[in-house]
Amino acid sequence: MGRTEIPPGTLYLLILKTLESGPRHGYGIAERIQQLSEDVLTVEEGSLYPALQRMLLKGWVMGEWRQTENNRRARYYRLTLAGRKQLGLELSEFQKVMAAITRVIQTA
Amino acid sequence: MERLGELWRRLKFIFRRGRFRQELQEEIQFHLEMKARALRDAGMAPGEAGPAAQRQFGNTLLLRETSREAWGWNLLETVLQDMRYGLRQLRRNPGFTLVAVLTLALGIGANTAVFTLVDAVMLKSLPVADPQQLYSLGADDNCCQMTGMQGNFTIYSYPLYQYLQEHNPQFSQLAAFQAGAMPVAVRRSRGTDAAQPNRGEFVSGNYFQMFGISAYAGRLLTSSDDRADALPAAVMSYRVWQQRYGADPGVIGSTFVINSKVFTVAGVTPPGFFGDRLTGDPPDFWLPIGTEPVLNGPVSILREPGEFWLYLTGRLKAGASVAPLQAQLTVELQQWLRTLPKLDEGDRKDISQQRIILTPGGAGVTELRDLYASGLRLLMVLAGLVLLIACANLANLLLAKSSAARTQMAARIALGATRARLMRQILTESMLLAVLGGAAGVAVAFLATRMILLLAFRGALYVPIDATPSLSILAFALGLSLLTGVLFGVAPAWVSSRSQPAEALHGATRSTRDRSAMPQKSLVVLQAALSLVLLSGAGLLTRSLLNLQNQQFGFQTRGRYIVRLDPSLAGYTMERLPGLYRRLRTQLAAIPGVLSVAYSGYSPMRGENWSSEISVEGHPNGGYKNEFLPWVSKTPSWVRVSPRYFATVGTRLLRGRVITEQDTPSSRPAAVVNETFARKFFPKQDPIGKHFGIGDNTHNRDFEIVGVVEDTKYQDARQPAYATFFLPFLQQIPRDDESAQNVVDGSNYLHDIELLAAGRPQNLEPQVRRALAEINPNLTVLSMTTFDEQVTRNFNQDRLLARLTGLFGLLALVLASVGLYGVTAYNVVRRTNEIGIRMALGADRNTVLGMVLRGAIGLVAIGLVIGIPIALAAGRALSSQLFGVKGYDAGALAAAVLILSACAAVAGLLPARRAASIDPMQALRAE
Repeated sequence: MGRTEIPPGTLYLLILKTLESGPRHGYGIAERIQQLSEDVLTVEEGSLYPALQRMLLKGWVMGEWRQTENNRRARYYRLTLAGRKQLGLELSEFQKVMAAITRVIQTA
Repeated sequence: MERLGELWRRLKFIFRRGRFRQELQEEIQFHLEMKARALRDAGMAPGEAGPAAQRQFGNTLLLRETSREAWGWNLLETVLQDMRYGLRQLRRNPGFTLVAVLTLALGIGANTAVFTLVDAVMLKSLPVADPQQLYSLGADDNCCQMTGMQGNFTIYSYPLYQYLQEHNPQFSQLAAFQAGAMPVAVRRSRGTDAAQPNRGEFVSGNYFQMFGISAYAGRLLTSSDDRADALPAAVMSYRVWQQRYGADPGVIGSTFVINSKVFTVAGVTPPGFFGDRLTGDPPDFWLPIGTEPVLNGPVSILREPGEFWLYLTGRLKAGASVAPLQAQLTVELQQWLRTLPKLDEGDRKDISQQRIILTPGGAGVTELRDLYASGLRLLMVLAGLVLLIACANLANLLLAKSSAARTQMAARIALGATRARLMRQILTESMLLAVLGGAAGVAVAFLATRMILLLAFRGALYVPIDATPSLSILAFALGLSLLTGVLFGVAPAWVSSRSQPAEALHGATRSTRDRSAMPQKSLVVLQAALSLVLLSGAGLLTRSLLNLQNQQFGFQTRGRYIVRLDPSLAGYTMERLPGLYRRLRTQLAAIPGVLSVAYSGYSPMRGENWSSEISVEGHPNGGYKNEFLPWVSKTPSWVRVSPRYFATVGTRLLRGRVITEQDTPSSRPAAVVNETFARKFFPKQDPIGKHFGIGDNTHNRDFEIVGVVEDTKYQDARQPAYATFFLPFLQQIPRDDESAQNVVDGSNYLHDIELLAAGRPQNLEPQVRRALAEINPNLTVLSMTTFDEQVTRNFNQDRLLARLTGLFGLLALVLASVGLYGVTAYNVVRRTNEIGIRMALGADRNTVLGMVLRGAIGLVAIGLVIGIPIALAAGRALSSQLFGVKGYDAGALAAAVLILSACAAVAGLLPARRAASIDPMQALRAE
């Protein structure tokens, strides 16, 4: 099974995007990214949790403990207002870069 | 705004570190479970899913570390962790910790104490306003009261002070104060309290303005208090006001009886102020100089131009420069001196040599500084040596520890710890040690400062030196210990961390090479050498002290007591003295146990000296007056003594008779002289029956020498006895002018009563006080001590030096022994293997014992070889402080060598015996 590393600098964007539709726990975030990318992208736990801590510090997300569907306690991350703003920023930045790269690839 | 929120969350994190760890742990656990469940759902065997999830997840420890690092507290976290670990390490090696902390505490404590004293005595200014503006007129090497030319003028008469004050507007204030404080008897006017002995000092009215001091309560003196018609006022010290009068505000403005004259207490000085000089028992009362005639009556010297008894200190105006002022003062002095009446030919010739030198006066009168300068310098050197030894010892301990930890360190490096992290951890441990040692050192410093003050000012009731070590000194000492800790804790660790872990792990237990112990050995050698220097110095100073105390003084102290008294303070006039003396003798002799009662102008080793020029009958040029002879022989000392005086103080009569009741005012003037007097003025003659007089060339009322007593030291224990003559009380000595007559008449007042008692009589002091109070309740006992104590107080500085050097020497010895023991023991452990092989190859226990012992003794021997020349040089440097001992005293050195060798033998023998008891089989097996 070919695993592709998440391009550097896009982990925040992916996490923020998955949280846009509602709060999720860490495992849920990883699973959702993998699922949506149709198993192309895999989030390493070793980078996921430190990234979540940095986002907590920056105030983009908030952590809260809740019951899962299986009646387990888990920490859910929820997007804050600052996080929503950051998502917009990251998104436009990414699209700008993406468009630029696409132009380079197509003309070259 | 965002930044602020981030900072806030970051701060909150520190206090939730425990919860953070737990939450993260739970989160990871949850993640793993979910993963394992997913794997099981995908068809993996339940037993394998867990480990597989774990494997895929990766290093949870690392994840936790990086998650935590996100919050930016990792430095603090690791420091805290290092501290916890360090404390655990220190707790695990209580012996090491105790020795290291004690070493540091003693080193820091000794230095802080000595430097606190040096700071207080040598460096500090008086607690007054702008002390740098103050200048003293002259360097204070003369004291108390004198006549004649001084060369460098230091003490002044009141008329001379007034003259200089008028002519020098460069001083905003020029104040005069008494060169030596005096005892005064003080009681409140109302009430029936007995008068209390206190210290008093005459000062000019502008004294406090000159210092820039304002009253704590009431008012201080002003120039108008100096006027003859002013109501006598006095200023009380804050200390007396607090301690004696309970800070009673009613004291201010109320009347007191000082030396039987009525004064009004105008005010109280501020708490920190202790007068114009740092001294034991500073003045409690400041009296206006204008009241001197009131207190001293006929012997007043205020209006005498030629009686010098005042120090002058002035506050210089801004912009005034010292050199021209100094020249101007010198010219004025010489002009004024020419107007003096009664100048002889020699004095006139000397006037052009008289000058005034301005010296910075912010430190006040520096008599204490001059007295203790050499001793304090020596103490500083000693304390420095102790600190050096302490640092060497600490270095040794840390070195030994770091080499013991080499294997452990190699293992940790092999397991992936970074060098920086290891260094940081060792640094933390060293710092912890230094801080612990520093804290203990502060405690030691507090105690030691108090102890040194007690030793240095034995006999003083109060010393105005703050025994609290100053912050800067503490910081210095602490910094030094930190530096030592860092230098000797981290440097060896750094060196060993650079070695390849594999190599270190490999060869850790097998070594026949000794090289790694080289620094430790040099430190032990250094310690041994320094200990030798301190020990031999202590030996020299102790012998010197014993020589001083046990020398032939020419009196006996056993069973003798000295009562200080001044009848003039109780208002006794000359006419009432005979009656007082008669009653004294009978009342005191009636006290049970008292064998003999005598009194005198002053007693031996009290620190008092009267001397006068004499003229010997039949000698050309009126005796020795115009001959240039040393001070002592030209002007012998003299003292008035009562009947039975010599028996009471234990001075032997050699020829003729002593002074008795038959020597009355109307009988022929008699004198007893000491051996030196007889030898100097009547060489190779029989002095009995010879005559001499004081400053009287007519020889009409000459004294006839009736007896010769043995030489007795009255003034300086290090010098031979001064030529001295003894006169009976109340026999007149006629002088040609009134003021000289008044001074000589003043010699008829007793200042000391000597008592000889059988055994150790109980309650002697209260009985003496009661007997004196019965004669006159105003007779104030200024102090009562044993004769022995009076003599002993002369050696305060010698005792301080001897005790402290001894203490420091002992300390050094202990530290050096511990160091030697440590190195030897460590070597034995390291060479266990080798010793085992040697024994297996046939070496017997004695060979092993000898081998280890030889190593230890060898180190000390090198220390001795280095230390002996240093000790000899130190002895030479000390020789000016010594009495009756040469700087190169073989006994002291031999004793020091012997003590050091004995300690070294014990310190070496303990590990040597352990080495000899090694079982070869076990040693070889233990890898």
